[in-house]
Amino acid sequence: MNALAERFSERGVGSIFLYTHEAHSGENYPHLTSMEQKFRHARALRDTLGVMRPILVDALDGACHRAYGSMPNTSWIFTQSGVPIYKSDWTDVHSLENAMEYVLNVIERRRSGERLAPFRVERLDFRHQDQAAFYKGLERNGPKAVREFRAAFG
Amino acid sequence: MPDSDLLTRYNYDEFVPAKFGQWLNFAASPPLGGLAPDFPLWHLDGSETSLAAIWSHHTYTIVEFGSFT
Repeated sequence: MNALAERFSERGVGSIFLYTHEAHSGENYPHLTSMEQKFRHARALRDTLGVMRPILVDALDGACHRAYGSMPNTSWIFTQSGVPIYKSDWTDVHSLENAMEYVLNVIERRRSGERLAPFRVERLDFRHQDQAAFYKGLERNGPKAVREFRAAFG
Repeated sequence: MPDSDLLTRYNYDEFVPAKFGQWLNFAASPPLGGLAPDFPLWHLDGSETSLAAIWSHHTYTIVEFGSFT
C-alpha cells in the first residue's frame, strides 16, 4: 500500500490510514481503553509495520469507523467534495490500483471531450491470502490472539 | 460523556463471534455517489482534524481503515 500511495501521489491522489480498534488484541497489543493507548498503537503501526501514509486516529468509540461499516480493513476512495466512488470490504492493492487507474482515466476522457455519466457497478474482486503472514501478525499481537483466532475459525 | 458500554463493546477484549460479529456491518455503510458523513479525527501528534478536511486536500483520496492487530 505504501508503494501504491507513493505512485498515485505523483498524480495528485492523497492516501491515509485511519486507525480503528484492535481486531485481534493480544498480550502485546491489548484491546483499547484510552486515546493515549490508541495513539501508542497507531505509532507502532507506523514504526513497526512501516505504514508510511499519514495515520489518522478515530475516536475511542469508533464513531467514524462504525458509520463506515466497522469492518476490520476496508478501503474507500473519496472525491474532493466527499463523495465515495469506491468502497471495498477488504483492502487489496490490486483492486485499489485498478479503481484509481479507472477514475483517473475518466478525468482524461472528460478533458478530451467525452460526455460521461456516473453509474453504479458491483464486482467481486479477489485478494491474495497470505496465511503465514497473517499468523505471524497474530503472533506479534500475542499468544491470546492466535488462540482466539484458532478457536473462532479453526 | 462517553457511553462506557459502547466503548467496551466496540473495543472488545476477546475475538469471539458474540463480540466481533456485531461490528461487521459493511452492508449498512454509506452508499457510493452521495455525500459521505464527516467525523473528527486526530493526527498522531494529537491535533484534531476531520475526514472532510482530509478528503478536501486532493482530487481523490484513498482511505484505508484498520489497526495494528
